[in-house]
Amino acid sequence: MLNTLIQAFALISTWEVIIAMLAASVYGLVIGSLPGLSATMATALLVPVTFYLSPIAAIATIVAASTMAIFSGDIPGALLRIPGTPASAAYADEAYAMTRKGEAELALGAGVWFSAVGGIAGTLSLMILAPPLAEIALSFSTFEYFWLAFLGLMCATLVARSSPVKAIASMFIGLLVACVGIENPGGVPRFTFGMTNLFGGIEPIPALVGVFAVAQVMRAMLTPEPPPIPKRKFGSIMAGQWRLTKKYRWQMTRGNIIGIIIGVLPGAGADMAAWVSYAMSKRFSKEPEKFGTGHVEGLVEAGASNNASIASGWVPSLLFGIPGDTIAAIAIGVLYMKGLNPGPTLFTEKASSMYAIYLMFIIANIIMIPLGIVMIRLASYVLRAPRSSVMPFIMLCCAVGSFAIGNNMFGVVTVAAFGIIGYVMEANGYPVAAMVLGIVMGTMIEQSFVTSLIKSDGSVLPFFERPISAILAAMAIGALIWPVLIWGWRRLKAASPAAAPR
Amino acid sequence: MRLPDQVTGLFLVGLGAAAAYGGWLLPPVPGQPVGPNIFPLVIGSGLALCGLAIALGIGRTFEEEEEIIPLEAGQAGPPTGKLYGLRALLPPALLLFYVAVADRLGFIITAALIVFVTSSALGARWKLSLPLAVMAPIVIHLIFSKLLRVPLPAGLLPMPW
Repeated sequence: MLNTLIQAFALISTWEVIIAMLAASVYGLVIGSLPGLSATMATALLVPVTFYLSPIAAIATIVAASTMAIFSGDIPGALLRIPGTPASAAYADEAYAMTRKGEAELALGAGVWFSAVGGIAGTLSLMILAPPLAEIALSFSTFEYFWLAFLGLMCATLVARSSPVKAIASMFIGLLVACVGIENPGGVPRFTFGMTNLFGGIEPIPALVGVFAVAQVMRAMLTPEPPPIPKRKFGSIMAGQWRLTKKYRWQMTRGNIIGIIIGVLPGAGADMAAWVSYAMSKRFSKEPEKFGTGHVEGLVEAGASNNASIASGWVPSLLFGIPGDTIAAIAIGVLYMKGLNPGPTLFTEKASSMYAIYLMFIIANIIMIPLGIVMIRLASYVLRAPRSSVMPFIMLCCAVGSFAIGNNMFGVVTVAAFGIIGYVMEANGYPVAAMVLGIVMGTMIEQSFVTSLIKSDGSVLPFFERPISAILAAMAIGALIWPVLIWGWRRLKAASPAAAPR
Repeated sequence: MRLPDQVTGLFLVGLGAAAAYGGWLLPPVPGQPVGPNIFPLVIGSGLALCGLAIALGIGRTFEEEEEIIPLEAGQAGPPTGKLYGLRALLPPALLLFYVAVADRLGFIITAALIVFVTSSALGARWKLSLPLAVMAPIVIHLIFSKLLRVPLPAGLLPMPW
């Protein structure tokens, strides 16, 4: 244990890792703070860069950029009432109300401080939860993997803030995209329409860049420019944070725990964690009437929650290759690329790399405090950058980055196509996150499904015979049926005899 | 681009049915009960069912209406017009433009055009968009081609490094 820890320290104390981490932190802070550029997009655009780094440095950039971006989304939320990332949307109104009351320092300070605390709590959960789960996971067969992946996809649809039917449809679209190519049980070209470029299948990363980056530029074309930020001088940012920590320690702990749980659930990420925790905080608060008028309590809980979910989202990613959220989905792609294939054996064979990941998470959350304070002070300058000068850079990064993934122009076509798909889906209430998870997990779920069917000689019964597999199956089917039950119940409650369920 | 649920639902029914049929046509693996055909069959049928449910309006009650932030005084609403919505297609069109001409024109020239069009479309004056169109491709070229060694097409205007 101590030996591995020393090895891990040696792994991360190279110049490459340190520089990569610092650069990615600054990048994450800037992208996260710009309205409309989300943390997922920041991470997706980073992937082409990670090709050229060593495995640990590559993971360091992903860890640092995503951690920073989730926090810095709070900055425009508090100053402009425009959340920089969806994860800050839950409490942007509250933070802006505080700014109007003249408490911008307290709101932003709470953002950086409780984000750091939450991030470290999430990392601890990753360290504590992952190894014992890996022990259990070693005895999993394809049946369990199939149900686990299926459960993950169902969770992704349950938590979407949209119609569950549309979320499930999005998931199927993603799985359908994953069907393309010759990497299937028969090794025959499937849905390639004779195009050689499609033989290798549709890469998840260009699809992600298209859905999250190009679609965002497309939306920017139609929405008015956000108002410029007023210049202001900040007082001490960390003042009063310790007092808040003592006063709201239960809220903070609750936020951390909720964030960890939501992070571990496949498909649900930081935005969900923030919404749930903010609602929870209001529900259990002693002074709920103060919410919405610039009250710091909800900020504490939700800020502690969304950053906690980032680290714990890596638990299912590292163990099963099932992403905890869209950022983890990108991280999985990078892990595979770097030969750190997710799976329970990762924790025994590559233990030092795992410890290095834990350490990087902790370091990222600690350096977030000073870097975050600098960022808050510079925010009035960064946020003055007009959209018309930022978006062209995003466009170029999309084009060059997607080309770099395979040194192939087809990647750029994929990005453009998925930009349109993502834009249309989002405009019509189909959650794109569910589709992304479908794309990322498609190959895995098909493999475990078909291998299981071959093992069972085409019978469905063995899917339910092993004890763990039966439990997972019950959970997954429950998740599938739940929206139907709610819908039927609402129909009944509407209590018109003509509207009885057919 | 908000389409009625009936349209998107029926489109998904078509897509799902096509996928299921396409999967069904695939050759099975000899001697095995299942092959590459089963997964598209399941997915396609599922998608078609979902599409049908959406077209029938099931699950609508779960959707939250989009929150519209009220415009503050002195802030103009977005202009509306028939052609205005088509502006959204500009970014993917520019990416396809890149695919089509980058090899011939080279990265710098193509990228400069993309930057100029994008920033102008977002409302930048030429005083901003012109210097940006000169600087941005060079910066990106430096990072990706020099630092990360991505083979970007040189075309008509190769960079000196």
